[in-house]
Amino acid sequence: MTLTRRMAMLALASATTMLLAVGAHAADQKLIVIITPSHDNPFFAAEASAADAKAKALGYTTQVYSHDDDASKQDQLFDSAIAAHASAIILDNAGADASIAAIKKAKDAGIPSFLIDREINATGVAAVQIVSNNYQGATLGAQAFVTAMGEKGNYVELTGKQSDTNAGIRSKGYHDVIDQYPDMKMVAQQSANWDQNEAFSKMESILQAHPEVNGVIAGNDTMAMGAIAALKAAGRKDVIVTGFDGSNDVRDAVLAGTAKATVLQPAAREAEYAVELADKFLKDGKTGVDEKISMDCVLIDASNAKNLDTFALKG
Amino acid sequence: MTVTGVAIEQQSQRARSSALLLLLKLRTFIALILVFGFFAVMAPNFLSIENIVIVSKHVAINAILAIGMTFVILTGGIDLSVGSIVGLVGMIAGGLIDYGIHLPMFGVIIYPSVFELTLMALLVGALIGGINGILITRLSVAPFIATLGMLYVARGAALLLSGGATFPNLVGSPQLGNEGFPVYGDGRLLGIPYPIIIMAVMAVIAAYVAIRTPFGRRVYAVGGNERAAALSGVRVNRIKLAVYMISGFCAAVAGLIVSSQLVASHPANGETFELSAIAAAVLGGTSLSGGRGSIGGTIIGAFVIGVLGDGLVMMGVSEFWQMVVKGLVIIAAVVLDQLQRRVAASRRA
Repeated sequence: MTLTRRMAMLALASATTMLLAVGAHAADQKLIVIITPSHDNPFFAAEASAADAKAKALGYTTQVYSHDDDASKQDQLFDSAIAAHASAIILDNAGADASIAAIKKAKDAGIPSFLIDREINATGVAAVQIVSNNYQGATLGAQAFVTAMGEKGNYVELTGKQSDTNAGIRSKGYHDVIDQYPDMKMVAQQSANWDQNEAFSKMESILQAHPEVNGVIAGNDTMAMGAIAALKAAGRKDVIVTGFDGSNDVRDAVLAGTAKATVLQPAAREAEYAVELADKFLKDGKTGVDEKISMDCVLIDASNAKNLDTFALKG
Repeated sequence: MTVTGVAIEQQSQRARSSALLLLLKLRTFIALILVFGFFAVMAPNFLSIENIVIVSKHVAINAILAIGMTFVILTGGIDLSVGSIVGLVGMIAGGLIDYGIHLPMFGVIIYPSVFELTLMALLVGALIGGINGILITRLSVAPFIATLGMLYVARGAALLLSGGATFPNLVGSPQLGNEGFPVYGDGRLLGIPYPIIIMAVMAVIAAYVAIRTPFGRRVYAVGGNERAAALSGVRVNRIKLAVYMISGFCAAVAGLIVSSQLVASHPANGETFELSAIAAAVLGGTSLSGGRGSIGGTIIGAFVIGVLGDGLVMMGVSEFWQMVVKGLVIIAAVVLDQLQRRVAASRRA
């Protein structure tokens, strides 16, 4: 054996010892792994940081990851969590069907998953599924939209990524309310994929085809912000805009009068609640609540916008 | 058949194939006229001056990226990092306006003026392009891999700058002396929005550089036959470094315009823009193997993509069909490109 090979073996051996030591250390302080979609959406960033803060406050170590809405990346993150002997996983999943196998794999390895924000199409696999009631929220937003429009006019709907369940649920909630008003006429419906820049350029084109538009109802806040920028560029101040999420950007637009309303999903609260239930489960062996928990959304308009900060209402 | 008969037959065949060749050469332009005519009939208000201005403004961002991309592809390379540079440059500009530069050792925060931060942003774009170029020329990393790596690095850096959040409301303030950033997106000269003017100026300069300058000829030479170019004294590495810097610079210009239009910087801005830029260049007749293509063709290609996108939105066609149509047009362009090469080759034979 050459000297370099001997040194490499030595290095490998010491690295293994160190890894074992780290593993042993992690075992005295329990690990919670938090997996959400990309933090470039402040909604998911807020969710992850709320869960992270709560878990640390309860004495856990944490690892925070993003699956970028890619189910195979999510699966790899689950493998890492299992290998790291996590005690629990807090998950905002990457697909209602595509996530089931990964969650089941963790369960078989003795790691319970606590789902937030999005459901999966299976029960008995996750320990809990805490979901904000998107349908109820959409009806709140739609009602505020219709009232602001004076129950009549031509409007545009900007929908989210069409492969995302929430995009469909919100759109259905909007229409179940708006379609009851015969004088509300939808002149265009386009997906802007939750994206601000796409909403901006599509809104500019729609305004050209349908200058008679006097309302825009967006499936989330980033698209609402894109529409507001397009309306501003076109010098249109008369158009009613509403969003969904309760982001600080649309809060500021509501306060400035460029947007009418948005719908707050209690993202931070959901994430904290999931961690609390995980803590209870790890101590008592059960959560003591039903698997599916639905949390109601809150309408944000000029009356309460100033109390909103990073997806939580104060006071 | 007599000998003259054969000659006439050959002659008319040549005339037919030359007419076909002309049609094939003008294919992108013909495609543009066709889609334009189609939407003029099908989409309400499509032909209004105001709408044509807006379509051109949407095209401008992709066209500016595609100008840089064309230089890169002409050398036989590819630049996948431009979309991420759009995002990163926007975040740098947004951060400078909203938060300035902190200098804790002096206890001050410097807010650069819009002119200064524009220069910084453009410099960053060119520098990132320069890093791509150095990876490719000095460290012999394949362009696809080097710029794919940079795609992730630059996007990650953009996200790190704000922890994923948006820099909102980029209007600056008179006290800080940094007002005026939104002008790149919504300013107008003689009624024409700045993005269109910027695109036109950059296209004219790029076309001049490509056709009339020694640099331009060397770019074509490197892409046509790199060894031959090197043997005839072209400093291949310098040319390659320069084209990636041009591409990074163009991406920075596009990034400033995108953030300025939205009056906000989002770290995910520019995702998949690199693919649209490549599509515009390819539609415009630029060969991915290098050495063949033109700036004019690229601009027309960008217009075909932009007119298609906006027209379908105005008609109310669903997002899914828009994707299918865009993909089919790109494939058709390359098929026609191959057909043109075959017809041209058979004429030479």
